[in-house]
Amino acid sequence: MRRIATLLQNIDRRVIYLLVLFSLLTPLIANFSLRPAPMETASSFFTTVEKLDPAATKLVLVAMDWGPSTQAENGSQTEVLLEHLMRKNIHFGLISLSPTAGPLLESVPKKVIAKMTAENPEFRWNYGEDWVNFGFQPNAGIMIQNMARSTDLRATLETDALGTDLKDLAVMNGVNTIRDIPILVEFTGLVGVFNTWLQFLQAENYRPQMLHGCTSITIPEAYIYYASKQILGLHEGLAGAAAYEQLLSERYPSRLIGRALKLNTSLAIAQLMIIALIVVGNIGYALSLSLQKNGASRG
Amino acid sequence: MVNIPAFGSIEWWQILVAGISTLAAYSFLLGENPVYRLFEHFYIGIATSITTMIGVKTFLWPKVLKPLLGLDVAYFPDGSAAVPYDPSTLWYLVPLLFGGLYYFILSPRHAWIAQIVIGLSLGTSAGFAFKGIFNEALPQVYDSFRPLYVPGSIVDTISNLVFVTTLLAAMYYFFLTIKRKPGGNGDRVAAYGRWMMMGCFGAFFGATIMARMSLLVERLQFLVETWWPTLMATVSGG
Repeated sequence: MRRIATLLQNIDRRVIYLLVLFSLLTPLIANFSLRPAPMETASSFFTTVEKLDPAATKLVLVAMDWGPSTQAENGSQTEVLLEHLMRKNIHFGLISLSPTAGPLLESVPKKVIAKMTAENPEFRWNYGEDWVNFGFQPNAGIMIQNMARSTDLRATLETDALGTDLKDLAVMNGVNTIRDIPILVEFTGLVGVFNTWLQFLQAENYRPQMLHGCTSITIPEAYIYYASKQILGLHEGLAGAAAYEQLLSERYPSRLIGRALKLNTSLAIAQLMIIALIVVGNIGYALSLSLQKNGASRG
Repeated sequence: MVNIPAFGSIEWWQILVAGISTLAAYSFLLGENPVYRLFEHFYIGIATSITTMIGVKTFLWPKVLKPLLGLDVAYFPDGSAAVPYDPSTLWYLVPLLFGGLYYFILSPRHAWIAQIVIGLSLGTSAGFAFKGIFNEALPQVYDSFRPLYVPGSIVDTISNLVFVTTLLAAMYYFFLTIKRKPGGNGDRVAAYGRWMMMGCFGAFFGATIMARMSLLVERLQFLVETWWPTLMATVSGG
């Protein structure tokens, strides 16, 4: 019994790594996904986007303030949002305060467009007409305040990421001030980045409605903004993206499944494995305590 | 099904290097090793150079140096400029040179000059923070004033009660100017605040594990669905 108690408390870390790896890999290799639990935060996010009127919405601003290091969570969140906007025919502009986001500002929308085209070969989402890439913008606080004060956003931001004058892009027609942007959606894994948008993107008596996607680490902090209604919806890490994707699948039943659901399934099974390992370790600990007590009472 | 890029194409190399780099980074799980150390140095070097180059390419060159040097002016075949050079861009030199004073920090004798730049940056940041904190924190303060009884909703009533008591208890825990009697009511309130904070830290820890797992699963998906099929197709000559 003592040997079992010792064994349960001293499982080799490499065995634990292998068990977690196996749990993560199983859904990927077997290619199955479980239905995620509904999340109120993702549901509010979805409803806010769903309520947008395509005819009245000139541009949704999507801040992709993330880089390759948080691609798993922020990438999945951005993909499901862009897909939703495309399905609703709502134009969007991508912007970033993170220098490493540069290539992702191109590749993420293109990936979503490719998925949409695979579903419907006639689907078109043209650069300059339906979406624009404002690129990486340095000097976050100052730049956002300039945007908020601007009476001509095309002159303030000057060019897109490719150097094209924004005045030459049809998607920017009628987008003069931040009052023409009804919603800002911000995705980041960095602490303090969303705050910058929240603090400075506001004109007199006007602030765009805000939605936020964060990584799992920053959920407890991001929840403060949701509870105080400073943001109308929240993507809580990968699970948030999966819950949103589930809502998207229910709204558009013929859509192809994206990667958020699949990754979330792997995550769920790995977490069950971790919980099981914690229970096993605690059983070993309880066993060793009981053996010690028995030994002491006999002695 | 993943599209296998042509052997030797840029996409093929990208996938190959990304897979090897991922495996090298995770080799640390087996212990410290030279392969991990090598790729760690690659990562630091590449990340630094990318950040620097993007700063130069997207801001310093197109928005400062190019207009300053008149290189953004288009010329007709006869040599005349489409738009005349704007002399007001010469004003850019003032903040550019002022910012350059920061490099005096490298000289022990003239480091005080850099402190002028640092002082200005600190002052500006403090001004921004002062403005920003009102926009960010005040709505949260307003939200804290919640009714302790919500007619017709027991759930909301309980939720608000927990919220308000936790807020007050956690604040009281950090209120250290009044001596608390050990075992007294004040001490119990502070203990409740501490327990609530412990719960919050637990949530942070759980969320951190979930975030790390998310990173891993994304890399595994890449290895399983992109890297491995590409490697196999290359080996089998497909």
